[in-house]
Amino acid sequence: MPTENPPSPQPEDYPASKLVSRLLKLSWNYRWGCLLVLFLQIFQVGLTLSALGFTGLGIDVIHHASNPEVPEANWPFGIAPPDSWSPINELLLVSALILSFALTKMVLGFANTVAVGHLVHRQIVVDLRSQVYKKLQRLSFRFYDGSASGSIINRVTSDVQMVRTFIDGVMLPVFIVALSLFFYLNYMLRIHVLLTLACLATTPLLWGLAIYFSKKVRPAYKRNRVLVDDMVLRLAETIQGIAVVKGFGREKEEQERFFSKAEYVREQQGWIFQQISRFSPSIGFLTQLNMMILLMYGGWLVINEEIALGTGLVVFASLLTQFSNQVNQISGITNQIQRSFTGARRVFEVIDRPVDIKSHGKKAVTLDQTRGDVTFENVSFEYKENATALVDMSFEVKAGTCVAILGATGSGKSAMLSLIPRFYDPNQGRVLLDGHDLRDLDLDDLRRNIGIVFQESFLFSMSIAENIAFGNPDATREQVEKAAKIARAHDFIMAMKDGYDSVVGESGSDLSGGQRQRIAIARAILLEPSILLLDDPTAAIDPQTEHEILEAMESAMRGRTTFVVAHRLSTLRRADLIFVLEKGRIIETGSHEALIQRGGHYSKAASLQIIDDELETFGPIERIDPL
Amino acid sequence: MKLGGGGGGLSSAGTKAGMIEGERPASGVLDLGLLKRLFTFTRPYAKSRNILFVLVIVRGMQLPILAWMVGAIIDSTVANKDLPMLFWSAGAYIVFAAFTDITFCFRMRLALNLGESVIRDLRIKIYDHLLNMRMGYFHRYSLGRSISRFTTDAEAVRMGVQDVLFVTLVQGGQMIGAAVLMAIYDPILFLIVLGLVPILWVLNHHFRKRLSTAHREVQESYSRVTSSIAEAVNGIRVTQGFVRGDLNTSLFHSLAQDHAEQNMKLARTTGFFIPLLEFNSQLFIAILIFFGGYQVLYLDHGIQVGELIMFFFLANLFFSPIQNLGNQYNNALNALAGAERLFNFLDLKPDWEEPDNVKDLPPIQGRVEFDRVKFSYNEDRPALKGVSFTAEPGQTIALVGHTGSGKSTIINLLSKFYLPDEGRVLIDGHDMTEIAGASLYRQLGMVQQQNLLFSGTVLTNILFAKPGATREDVHEVIEALGCRELFEALPEGLDTPVGEKGGGLSLGQRQLVCFARAMLADPRILILDEATSSIDAMTELVLQEALTRLLANRTSFLVAHRLSTIRRADLIMVLQQGEIIERGNHENLLKQDGTYAQLYRQFVQATTEPPKG
Repeated sequence: MPTENPPSPQPEDYPASKLVSRLLKLSWNYRWGCLLVLFLQIFQVGLTLSALGFTGLGIDVIHHASNPEVPEANWPFGIAPPDSWSPINELLLVSALILSFALTKMVLGFANTVAVGHLVHRQIVVDLRSQVYKKLQRLSFRFYDGSASGSIINRVTSDVQMVRTFIDGVMLPVFIVALSLFFYLNYMLRIHVLLTLACLATTPLLWGLAIYFSKKVRPAYKRNRVLVDDMVLRLAETIQGIAVVKGFGREKEEQERFFSKAEYVREQQGWIFQQISRFSPSIGFLTQLNMMILLMYGGWLVINEEIALGTGLVVFASLLTQFSNQVNQISGITNQIQRSFTGARRVFEVIDRPVDIKSHGKKAVTLDQTRGDVTFENVSFEYKENATALVDMSFEVKAGTCVAILGATGSGKSAMLSLIPRFYDPNQGRVLLDGHDLRDLDLDDLRRNIGIVFQESFLFSMSIAENIAFGNPDATREQVEKAAKIARAHDFIMAMKDGYDSVVGESGSDLSGGQRQRIAIARAILLEPSILLLDDPTAAIDPQTEHEILEAMESAMRGRTTFVVAHRLSTLRRADLIFVLEKGRIIETGSHEALIQRGGHYSKAASLQIIDDELETFGPIERIDPL
Repeated sequence: MKLGGGGGGLSSAGTKAGMIEGERPASGVLDLGLLKRLFTFTRPYAKSRNILFVLVIVRGMQLPILAWMVGAIIDSTVANKDLPMLFWSAGAYIVFAAFTDITFCFRMRLALNLGESVIRDLRIKIYDHLLNMRMGYFHRYSLGRSISRFTTDAEAVRMGVQDVLFVTLVQGGQMIGAAVLMAIYDPILFLIVLGLVPILWVLNHHFRKRLSTAHREVQESYSRVTSSIAEAVNGIRVTQGFVRGDLNTSLFHSLAQDHAEQNMKLARTTGFFIPLLEFNSQLFIAILIFFGGYQVLYLDHGIQVGELIMFFFLANLFFSPIQNLGNQYNNALNALAGAERLFNFLDLKPDWEEPDNVKDLPPIQGRVEFDRVKFSYNEDRPALKGVSFTAEPGQTIALVGHTGSGKSTIINLLSKFYLPDEGRVLIDGHDMTEIAGASLYRQLGMVQQQNLLFSGTVLTNILFAKPGATREDVHEVIEALGCRELFEALPEGLDTPVGEKGGGLSLGQRQLVCFARAMLADPRILILDEATSSIDAMTELVLQEALTRLLANRTSFLVAHRLSTIRRADLIMVLQQGEIIERGNHENLLKQDGTYAQLYRQFVQATTEPPKG
């Protein structure tokens, strides 16, 4: 299994403008939380500015006191303490103010972190995860057929995290940066207009750089996600297929293959890193350039006594640092934008994906209890384009009939079964239940009336009782036991240490195939469905234990319309009707006896097993084997 | 002055990350050993790592110097009103700044690349380690668990290497530099700074434990979320078939909610910790204004305004990293929590080690001998209770018995997936424990119950059995199996893509691919574990014939096969509860009229008897 196959395709390109408006709309749902965070943050910026201003004031007070030539300190809003105050009293007041600002800021800081946490973790992430998860539960099998499970899992886990960074890593910071830049700018302009303009001359360059960088790196981030997904998939498959890898002694080759994958990821990352490590220092240099301008021009202004030393130059220098810190954040934000966009594309792809199979809203016909008449009318179906599975198939099955389906691999047996619970919709024609087109019925009702046993029974890691009650978690223990008894599962369940409360390990690995399948049968009939679909349930079970399941199937079928994919004569014989499928068409239909007499495909296929039968019936063990 | 310098160093170490000192192994986990071990992963990149350290030190010095330059320039303009000097020094400032940024560029790039290299190595190590684990491991641990070691935990470690270590060092250096300069300018004021250090240290100490617990809980709740999703995705067909979507969604919602609460707990702790650190620096500035002012005003020998300003800048430089270090501290905890789980995983020993003196198995005839073999998966339930038998080269052995009777265990031991607890398994007289697994596997073919295929195409899956085989070889194999038509019927023939776990092909088709895969390997010993049971009757017609050819001239072990095949086996062994209770060929066993005869009747009955009632 060389891995040269291309990594899974990218979600179609979603134009950035559309994505932004979509993300903004999403943020709008959390406006109050966002506003609270914004308010807390801005309040903190205000406090920082005030503390800074008072620090400068303190310096000026000291400066004036130590050197009377220097102009007096300029108190804000002209509210100066009375002249009778000694400088040390003034300093005490300034220190006390700085301290009280700091205390308030500390409280706000705590409130802010908690508010962000509440907004992000409790609201946005939980909502998004639930939304994606819910959608995943609804998406039709076509979606799952075409996507690797590792990639689907990532949508709910890391991609959602990336989407929420749009709010707490992009949108809120943008507001905060913008507002604090506005405040800083205001403050600076009040100190000296020309100085401000001179110091900020490089800012447009900064913006340009940020935009250039984001454009350059964006595709690389996208590619990176794909590569990492692919690598994780490789790991997952190796674990799932560990017996094959070990069985063919292919550890070394797999390790080498994985090495090259991991190395590829590293190389690709290296390119991104190279870009980042050029970008950040450039931004840093620009801010230092600002500082140089400040020192030259501001120093000149102080010398000419146009601005004060403390509230002028020192505060200005601090403001400039703060200012460039905020601007520096922009590089972080552009980074986050990339991440959030990549994540958002992948998350929205799931959320937006039309549920191609759903009920007709209120118009849907609700059926409490169906009879179980199933009709196919000129049904054609293909899994995907040019992969035809069923061709113009028509038949009518009366309630209570047992239909066995026989056919070669790929003849359309599973496809036919999949159409009845509407796992797929036919491309042409219609499927009817009790005379209603399936598409007119309430989907949940429909599926509740159908019990399904799959080829390979998937059990969840919960207790056996919960697994049996999977379709109806409110079922009583009596109902569960009743279903288990019908499925001949009761005895072995009771023999287990915790009985019905035994927890099934991942993928039910601690139960035998036969046991799992019997639990699956119990699960299928718990809801007393009028239709039972058995997709070759004996496929993965050894013949020695097969009779146990046959018995379970037998008792489960009673009184239900049953479609069973089967190869065993035993089952075929018991069926009221047999469909022989070939290349998506029913080529023979009738009872076992009728088909045998016809001498067509069926009788040929059956002959192999009949040899066994006759052998046993007539007893000549010594007879020569025809093979 | 000296005292001041030393104090600065101490304080930075205290805030950098309490656990570096490792004076108390917090709940015995986030300790020095872990860091040391993490550090060993940078050894292959020692050169760039060492350059990195130099750059880090250089940058750690550059930053305080830059700040000092600003202070000094302001100081000089006030003191001397020297305009030309101002311009010259501002020019010097920008040149030095450029130099700093170049250092930064390389520092960053080297650190990022180092982190990426380390994580790549870790990924490979994890992968290799997984492949070296014995089958028992895969039966015990879930897939999601291994995946989250690989993704979340490794990612946390990467953060640790890329960011935490070097950013911490730069900022620690910056603090030391600032501390030294402060001590030079005014030892008394500096002593006040020093007075704040114990407070910071106590704070760190207090929050360290709470943060690490909170982090672990966040991670654990996250892995619950992940495994729930993994199961939901894998079991989606069942979920939809049984209309469980809404309930599952609400169950998942509560898991996600729980994860959110853990995150909140963490947020509350950090939300308290970091503002508190910030408050510290403001406290210092308030003190500086008052106390520094007092010195300037009332003590003639005290510092001047210019120096006060310098202190203001340096204090900023000294305190601002503390907040950042608080953040880094969080990341460090995160990284170490990830590293801890990773190392625990990497430290898991395979259930047994292949000794160094194993020899390669020479080309074999295919004689298999079990000599009083005992084995159990877990102690209270023996799976094999002393099984002995011999399979001669070319023989077909059928294993018959109920699920759990020990059939699969014999196969598992024969494939060296497990080693016997007692007794010996011999191949051509070579004890299994003395031969290299790899050399055994080259002569052993397997078709397993799950029919597992990897993503790729049908062709690549078949080629898996024999690296270096060509498309022609595969064609030959398919021809030999007599199922060319079935392969040609696939949408794209041999190039039909196979999805994850073989999705996209039907069970029967997957089985066919597995058959071809085993055939290509052309092994001396072939194991067919419930192989044909999932082939539909039509396909089986073809396959019965193919099977005959496949089994020819090989020692084959068939588990739970079709009766027609079992009947032709040279030796049928009937197993019950880990013991061979009957053995012989079909005729003999029927004559014995024992368990086999009973099983046979049951089976035939099941397949022939019409429904009762």
